[in-house]
Amino acid sequence: MLSRLSYRVQIPLGLSLAVVLAALLVTAVAAQISARTARADTLATVDRAAQLLSAQSMPLLAADDTWRVFALLCNTAAFLPGAATGQARTAVLDSEGRGFASSAPQLLRTAQALLGQTASGQTLPTVTAVTQPIRIDRPDGAIALLEPIRSEDDQALGFTYIEVDAPVFAADWATLTQPALVGVGLAAFLLLPAGLWIGRRMTAPVLSVAHVIECIGRIDPTELRRKLPHTQDPELGRISAAVDQLISELQVRQRAERRALSAERMAAVGRITAAVAHEINNPLAGLLTATQTLSVHGGSEETRTRTLDLLKRGLNQIQTSVAALLPQARAEDRALEIDDFTDVLTLAHPDVAQRNVQLTTQVEVESAMRVPSAVLRQVMLNMLLNGVSAAGEPGAVHAELRADADRLWFSVAHAGKALTQDAMEAKLVAESGDDPRGFGLWVCREIATQYGGGFDVDSHHGQGTRLVFWMPNREAHEELAAD
Amino acid sequence: MSFASRDQYQAVHEMLSNGQIDAAWTCGYPFVRFQSQLQLLAVPLYKGQPLYQAYLIRPLGGEVSVRGWSDMSGKVFAYSDPLSNSGWLVAHGEFAAAGIAQGNLKRSFFAYGHRNVADAVASRLAFAGSIDGYVWETMRLQGMAGAMQTEVIWKSRLHGFPPLVAAAGTEPAKLDALRRSLIGMPNDEAGRALLKSLNLDGFIAGQPGIFDSIRHLTRSVPGSGVAA
Repeated sequence: MLSRLSYRVQIPLGLSLAVVLAALLVTAVAAQISARTARADTLATVDRAAQLLSAQSMPLLAADDTWRVFALLCNTAAFLPGAATGQARTAVLDSEGRGFASSAPQLLRTAQALLGQTASGQTLPTVTAVTQPIRIDRPDGAIALLEPIRSEDDQALGFTYIEVDAPVFAADWATLTQPALVGVGLAAFLLLPAGLWIGRRMTAPVLSVAHVIECIGRIDPTELRRKLPHTQDPELGRISAAVDQLISELQVRQRAERRALSAERMAAVGRITAAVAHEINNPLAGLLTATQTLSVHGGSEETRTRTLDLLKRGLNQIQTSVAALLPQARAEDRALEIDDFTDVLTLAHPDVAQRNVQLTTQVEVESAMRVPSAVLRQVMLNMLLNGVSAAGEPGAVHAELRADADRLWFSVAHAGKALTQDAMEAKLVAESGDDPRGFGLWVCREIATQYGGGFDVDSHHGQGTRLVFWMPNREAHEELAAD
Repeated sequence: MSFASRDQYQAVHEMLSNGQIDAAWTCGYPFVRFQSQLQLLAVPLYKGQPLYQAYLIRPLGGEVSVRGWSDMSGKVFAYSDPLSNSGWLVAHGEFAAAGIAQGNLKRSFFAYGHRNVADAVASRLAFAGSIDGYVWETMRLQGMAGAMQTEVIWKSRLHGFPPLVAAAGTEPAKLDALRRSLIGMPNDEAGRALLKSLNLDGFIAGQPGIFDSIRHLTRSVPGSGVAA
């Protein structure tokens, strides 16, 4: 969860957590040490208290002054650990081991025999056995201390008796925890704001770098470089240098992209120019032949009329092709007619004759053709010239036009070199490139795609190659409505 | 004027006889015992009379076996002062009357002060103690632990209240001036406040006859120091 927070929060929190953990660890270790030393300290205090009581109570015991011994015991017991909570008590016993006075008369009663008796489940030594200080360690951890009180002439006047219960020797967790809590509080009070400040200071360069990275591509690279933090920190320095390098490389790439775009535009212009030249040049040979026919056989009315119609439709095709390149021009295009197919055959005739190709045709039109004539003439002429070119010399080419209510097909088959689908695709890619020599098939594919049709190799065709073009049999506005 | 305090009547009377002090607040028993060396200065009025009682007290909620003087055999007993009427003389008279010799007590001791007797009994250092009734009542009035944690199981007859005395040779004029001041205390605010803090009503000149009951008691108690 901590990793989801920002560094500005993580750093102060981390510092505070570290201090809290350190305080807790120190407290735990201190508690262990305290538990070990508390018993020794308490025993030392009890020893000193016993010595003090023995010395102070000696003259009072000799004077049989119970009250003053009681007062002395009460005052001295106050210094014993645990006395305030009733867990430590002291008494002075007379020479026969009976209570002379005690700081807790309810527990250690006046004039009641103690030495040689059972106290807290343990038998105390007899009077004669206590010739020197004796410490009795009870099973539960409590202790009892007996020390003889002797007069100046070494006569036994009585005994000092001190009891300390087991809980007194336990570590004082409340006292030990208090400094830790104070430490934690101070950590929270001082380190959180300090950590916040340090965190902000530490993360500011990182944030600057992040901001620069966010702005890459949107702000001028020179301005971005200026915003990069300049720091002595080695890690941040590496990050800044890397971002600076990235900006430089992006600048190089942007310049390269601009050059590539410019080149691509130029290439596109070249391709368009080449395509236009190709589409104009294709019918041009047929039209020139038609003019020769007109000049030789123009005397015949029928020949003149048919040739002039051919010239008109051919020029219309060129006009339509050129108009398609001009967005502002809208050339009216009529629907395809059977004569257009005948015109295409006529326009291709010079190539057919030149290459000694036997051309056969088939027309199966079951429904009215509504497709635009200019583009279909363009497609048919391209495919036919391509077939004639690929058929070999002498060769055979078969052109077929079919149409029903839904679709129109035009196919050209030849017995020349077989063209696979992959080879066809490669040829199309090549024709879309910078090679101006073979745009025919590429134009056919583009037109098919534009009009929602297709242009492929017939993979089921036997010997040679059969290319099939098809498109929906509908007019342009119907196509838009259908889309 | 200066005040001196001692925890034993013996010390007070030594100061008086040595001329270290002009007057002392003592007990009726030492007044009777040393009457030839003293003259009566004034006697406090407690509850309107120059009289008080001695109490036998035991720890509150203590052993029910201690109901009176006769139950003290084999027990620990706290006296106040060897020269105290209520804290020694009365107790000795009652022990004698109950047929209990001092040797029959398990242990006895002097606490050197009525307040200490109450504390000794309250803390169970002693099973019972003999105390000035006026002191016990005043301690209780002030909520002191020694009185709050003890209870009275016997009260003596009325005796002359502990008097203020002066040495026999004290100059009469000085004595009269001091007596007038004491007797006139109820007449001014400071005096009344002081009397209230002492839980007293005032002072009277008093007559030695007030202490006849104590005098009588001294004659019946062996070792009282007063000839029978």
